[in-house]
Amino acid sequence: MTDIAHDAAMETAHPEHESTGIDNRKLGMWLFLSSEFLFFGALISNYLLYSHRGGFQGTYPAEVYDIPFTSVSSFVLLMSSLTMVLAHNALTRKDQNGTRTWLFATAALGAVFLGGQVFEFTEFITNEGMKLTTNPAASAFYLLTGFHGTHVAVGVIMLLSLWGISRRKGGLSEKHGLNLELVGLYWHFVDIIWIIIFTAVYLLSVPPA
Amino acid sequence: MTATAERPATTIFRRPASTTGLWSWITTVDHKRIGIMYGYAAFFFFLLGGIEALLIRTQLATANSEFLTAGAYNAMFTMHGTTMVFLFVMPVSAAFMNYMLPLLIGARDVAFPRLNALSWWVFFFGGIFLYSTFIFGTSFAPTGGLGVGGNLAAGGGPGTLNWLADSPDAGWFAYQPNAGPLYSAGTAMDFWALGLQILGLASLISAINFLVTIFNMRAKGMRLLRMPVFVWMSMVVAFLLLFSIPIIAIALFMVTFDRQFGSLFFAPTGGGDPILWQHLFWLFGHPEVYILVLPAMGIVSEVLPVFSRKPLFGYSAVVFAGAAIGFLGFGVWAHHMFASGITPVAQAAFGLATMTIAIPTGIKIFNWLGTMWMGRIRLTVPMLFSIGFVAMFTIGGLSGVTHAVVPSDWQQTDTYYIVAHFHYVLFGGALFGIFAGLYYWFPKLKGRVMNEKVGKLHFWLMLFGFNLTFAPMHWLGLQGMVRRTWKYAPETGLQPWNFAVTVGAWIIAISILVFMYNWYTSRRRGAPSGLDPWDARTVEWMSPNPTPEYNFAVPPVVTGLDHFWHLKYGEDEEGRAVARPDKDEIVAEIEREQLNPESPIHLPNQTYFPFFMAMGIPIIFYGIIYHTTLWGKALILIGAIISLSAVMGWAMEPLEEPHPEHEAAGSQGDTKVAYDD
Amino acid sequence: MTSTERPHPTPAMYWKIAVVLAGLTAVEVAMYYINRSLHLAVVNTLALLVLAALKFVIVIGFYMHLRYEKAMLSRFFTAGFVLAASLYTIVLTALGVLVIRGS
Repeated sequence: MTDIAHDAAMETAHPEHESTGIDNRKLGMWLFLSSEFLFFGALISNYLLYSHRGGFQGTYPAEVYDIPFTSVSSFVLLMSSLTMVLAHNALTRKDQNGTRTWLFATAALGAVFLGGQVFEFTEFITNEGMKLTTNPAASAFYLLTGFHGTHVAVGVIMLLSLWGISRRKGGLSEKHGLNLELVGLYWHFVDIIWIIIFTAVYLLSVPPA
Repeated sequence: MTATAERPATTIFRRPASTTGLWSWITTVDHKRIGIMYGYAAFFFFLLGGIEALLIRTQLATANSEFLTAGAYNAMFTMHGTTMVFLFVMPVSAAFMNYMLPLLIGARDVAFPRLNALSWWVFFFGGIFLYSTFIFGTSFAPTGGLGVGGNLAAGGGPGTLNWLADSPDAGWFAYQPNAGPLYSAGTAMDFWALGLQILGLASLISAINFLVTIFNMRAKGMRLLRMPVFVWMSMVVAFLLLFSIPIIAIALFMVTFDRQFGSLFFAPTGGGDPILWQHLFWLFGHPEVYILVLPAMGIVSEVLPVFSRKPLFGYSAVVFAGAAIGFLGFGVWAHHMFASGITPVAQAAFGLATMTIAIPTGIKIFNWLGTMWMGRIRLTVPMLFSIGFVAMFTIGGLSGVTHAVVPSDWQQTDTYYIVAHFHYVLFGGALFGIFAGLYYWFPKLKGRVMNEKVGKLHFWLMLFGFNLTFAPMHWLGLQGMVRRTWKYAPETGLQPWNFAVTVGAWIIAISILVFMYNWYTSRRRGAPSGLDPWDARTVEWMSPNPTPEYNFAVPPVVTGLDHFWHLKYGEDEEGRAVARPDKDEIVAEIEREQLNPESPIHLPNQTYFPFFMAMGIPIIFYGIIYHTTLWGKALILIGAIISLSAVMGWAMEPLEEPHPEHEAAGSQGDTKVAYDD
Repeated sequence: MTSTERPHPTPAMYWKIAVVLAGLTAVEVAMYYINRSLHLAVVNTLALLVLAALKFVIVIGFYMHLRYEKAMLSRFFTAGFVLAASLYTIVLTALGVLVIRGS
């Protein structure tokens, strides 16, 4: 289902309404995502505030980052945006096989990213001794990346549900097409938040002198 | 009722179909029923908040009073503020938006009826969760959280039940580190933080729902600049919620993590910065102030034109001013923090920004006055409350400007002058507007008009009691009486006015009893309203009273602002409104048409899932508070299972069941309603 | 409706965009190490921010199709971003993180 066809369908579905011509659910999703900027903005500012403050006891997050490792997991998440958009594109061409494959690939890449995060947290806590309770900078790091990880996990669950439906006979219907598009929007959003986090939190962080 | 005739079962559970009784309310997705539930729940919490206020005032009536302990007093002012803001004014505004928004834009329901039910049930369970602190808070929490032990100020310890003092006691803005684990031991503040988290979720969901409704569900011809002002104000409020709730959500999560998991965001001993909490709280808290008052402004903008028999003066200026207030509302938060040591540059900037808010507010006040000017004013109860709103809000607005002047604000910070100010804008403002709306739109609910005589008694008692309560607080505050202190010495000379204030508070309580009597009796014995009891202007009055389930048998096609008025009235050469000769027939014809749908109208089917999905959330949150125990962990799991199962059921269930007999008969004449969910 | 009638990118286009994104990420990581060895803090900070912004805009514009949607959606989305960026910048400045130091 293309968006053009979709909008045309909308026009006939809402004959008696003065409307924006944007599907209700899509409009709702974009509004939700725009509010998520305030959500993640608070988390990122919280991290920036405390990671720049000197004089805390214990390890600062910037002292223990493993940049090559995080670069790889960032790359994985970035590429999951590609597979997501390919899944959506395949469905618009009614290519159910392609949709299935790319949906699964997206969920798998998301899971790899999550696995990386679990590994990273474990490393920091057990080997580097940086816990949630170590200092405010560490608290802020775990809260930010933890909430982002939760978003990724929710996305993976939604992707796997869609994938499950797509494996049934007949694959994803037109109605599910919009679901796929909405999950896709959410997924890309989680990705762009990580783009910011990767730069602002990992690459630009230096331990305070 | 044609709309609820057939209910086939297509999913695992049989679809609920009861139209009366408890389950019909639990499973409803009708915006009107949801609005009614919001309204009654909000009023219930209003009474609780009122009782808390009366306890506070009784304590302060005399010097050195021993009526309440310090701990109980702290808990009472905390819960009074929290209740009135989050459990009364916000949900009662949600009640108005739910019931009235679709009617005002000529729609049959909101854009997402099931999400609407979800946000109501999330609110409902959130309110119960928050208030359950009176039962579970502190005393029953030997192991919850980091702060083990009783409420220090209350003198209670683990195991001793102290009903009043066991509730949250760190103020409605929960300044850190006072609200942290060290100084607010026990679990009461955890109930507070997680309770507000749930209520915020409800607000966020309804904000998105109302925005999409306003953008996509308007009746044909109702372009944005033809919408009633209440709809505009609801839109601004929804945007404010959309962008401010996420901020408080994070701030509250940080509090919960500090208290439950030992993070160090706000603990100065570990390097945390309490001022960060103040920034985050007021980043949300100031938009919140406009979230509380803008719906009332919208109601008043509906009522004043009707009872002045004139169009709203400067409609687009009022709309623009409302949007400007919303926009500026995001840029003034630090005026709550002038005494917290922010830099002189910040103080000057936020002082100036705060003063600019007076401009759009002034525009509105002058437009309301302009609406009444030379109008043929009918002093009905809704009109009296609206005029009361304008007058009282102006007083509160003027004292507000004095806080924008930083040196003056330093003098006023944490005194009763501030208490006087925000009660003039929130009680004199929001509450008077809310009562105006309740009297004005009551016929939509019951098909009857509330008793005018009793209503006038309510108004004058409330106006008198209100001013007796809050006007003297100005001078008490300027004499140096501080907020949040449970005692004052006799030699301060503060007692006479404090006693007057307490008398005023009790008079307000009596006026509320008068209102409740009026509401209760008018439900059955009020004069029948007919279609158009007020000679109104907007399309919600083209739907019969009480509102049928489908709202409009024939959705209106709107041709301009005040569409309904222009159907009834023409103009003479000098531009004065003249009733059309066949006005009564026009109104009667509209009522006939709207009461008799030509074909069955399909509405969204009832559903169990929003209720159960919402129910899981407080269970999870109880589990978080008691997460150190095994049964706490079990609660998290149980709550998650309930919520996730409900999500699954929801996803599998279509919003509307198919209607085979109509499909077969061809779809012409079959009115489809375009909802999504 | 005009804005929705622009053709959507093809899969080939999506792959090309992915290559660009991957390349930008590689440059970012390289910059990080250059920064470490050469101490060109200001230049590198700016460059890293620009690179992140580029990736951000590309994903929104193409993968999220915002370029092809009605302007209203872009306005809401931009509003959220700009509001968040300005509010938190002010907060961080007030809390002394983003201090503009004189010479």
